[in-house]
Amino acid sequence: MTRRGIFIFAAAIVACFALRLAAADDGNLLRFTPEETRRILQHGPWPRPWSRDPSNRVSGKPAAIALGERLFFDPRLSSGNSLSCASCHVPVKSFADGRKLGVGLEEGDRNTPSVLNVRLNRWFGWDGSNDNLWAQSVRPMLDPRELAVTARHVADFMRNDRELRCRYQQAFGVPPAPVDDEAVMVDTGKALAAYQETLVSGRTPFDDFRDAMARGDRQAAARYPQNAQRGLRIFIGKGSCNLCHFGPNFTNGEFHEIGIPVLRKLGSVDWGRYQGIKMLQASRFNLEGPYSDDASRSTATSSRHVALGPQNYEQFKIPSLRNIALTAPYMHNGHLATLRDVVKHYSEIDLGLLHSVHLYDSDGVPQTLPVDNLLKPLKLSVQEIDDVVAFLHTLTEKRAGAGIRRVTHNSNCR
Amino acid sequence: MFRLFAALIATACALPCDAVSACGADLRGAQTIESARYQITYRLQPAKIAVGRHFSVEFVACAKGGAPAPAAVVVDASMPEHGHGMNYKAVVKPVQNQNARYRADGLMFHMPGRWELIFEVQGAVGTERLTRSIALE
Repeated sequence: MTRRGIFIFAAAIVACFALRLAAADDGNLLRFTPEETRRILQHGPWPRPWSRDPSNRVSGKPAAIALGERLFFDPRLSSGNSLSCASCHVPVKSFADGRKLGVGLEEGDRNTPSVLNVRLNRWFGWDGSNDNLWAQSVRPMLDPRELAVTARHVADFMRNDRELRCRYQQAFGVPPAPVDDEAVMVDTGKALAAYQETLVSGRTPFDDFRDAMARGDRQAAARYPQNAQRGLRIFIGKGSCNLCHFGPNFTNGEFHEIGIPVLRKLGSVDWGRYQGIKMLQASRFNLEGPYSDDASRSTATSSRHVALGPQNYEQFKIPSLRNIALTAPYMHNGHLATLRDVVKHYSEIDLGLLHSVHLYDSDGVPQTLPVDNLLKPLKLSVQEIDDVVAFLHTLTEKRAGAGIRRVTHNSNCR
Repeated sequence: MFRLFAALIATACALPCDAVSACGADLRGAQTIESARYQITYRLQPAKIAVGRHFSVEFVACAKGGAPAPAAVVVDASMPEHGHGMNYKAVVKPVQNQNARYRADGLMFHMPGRWELIFEVQGAVGTERLTRSIALE
């Protein structure tokens, strides 16, 4: 063998070992099809770019964020000085509360959603009764079962507390209005919104996997647990979960009925989105109303065009799945205790629970609604359920609080 | 159709029959849908629509072959495989300074998958649906 031949032979052996090593390194990676890969990539990148809310003139303003943070943890915004926003949106519980139903001054009818990533919402609350974050921040203040205060209480609090008055002036450029209680209350909501816009969940094992797939780094992608990969394949495949839990925030921001019981404690029905749209349209605090700072009203497009009809009965917001492992129990009323219960619900869903025939016209005649064919029992095996649960666990941030946008502001207000 | 959230009824955008060949010819990047009686020339704005983003449809509706002019056009959309429509209703208004051109605002496809864009043309002899399938990824 010539020297050249020996060199080629040696190079071939080295290449062969390198290929085998590479194969071993990414052997944990399922062979996702191009279509599957495309769907996986739709769930990122994370975090999303920052953008301010045009309807809130202090959105992104450090003085307003600092004021909002101060207010978020201040119990004096409640009747009896007993509760703050953070009583239900507990930072160490991913800004939820871990309870089945939220408890303010009284127990409510719905589960407390996390406020992490809340700035990405189009609609706010389980029924979407608000179309902006500052109105959603005002809502619990006025709810007699939650913080139970009045616009006068909030306004006087901002006017009479020396430090808060100073901070308000720094945030809004003027002191709290001496007479207009409602305007001061809305501004208080805008400061709270400015703070909540900074609450972003951190990167997750899924994000690392997704980004590795995006750059074609099979070795890095192969570090993602294989059971999570199998669960992801179901999520974007036979489960079609990604149709509603779409995009980087794992929600399309809309509403769906999924067969969760809607009877409240006292026997009345929670109509969900149907009632939410009615409340939105009646609200003085919506994006078409006088308190929006968006002069063009371009942010009000969704509110202007939203359709109200019987299909909205019993629909509830499709929640983000980020940090989902930290926010049990699940669904609008905390009906399902664990992630496994949630996956089993979709696996065995009883289509008879979906409202197709229990609507009646004014003469009492049952109305037949077209069946939404989206939901079907997935009939998952035990292994498949375990895999989807494993995938959902990888949507939780690796380090608590790592995604929160830190804003420094030295107010010198004492 | 129950879930037809019809977007609004536009008062009529008809061009005379002899103008069909020029129906919306000035709409750059437009597509056409035809039936025996009508032709719709439309374009999406933005041209590439995205899941969960509002978009508009600019269009011209023309009568063909001596058919009476359309009285109104409703713009809507549905996902036939899922059996549901949009969560928003479009509103149709004339485009300023553009004769016979209309614009439907407020549409949104909130899921990926196959959507059907619907033009419901109302005329003297009844209502006709002209549809176009759109695959949204």
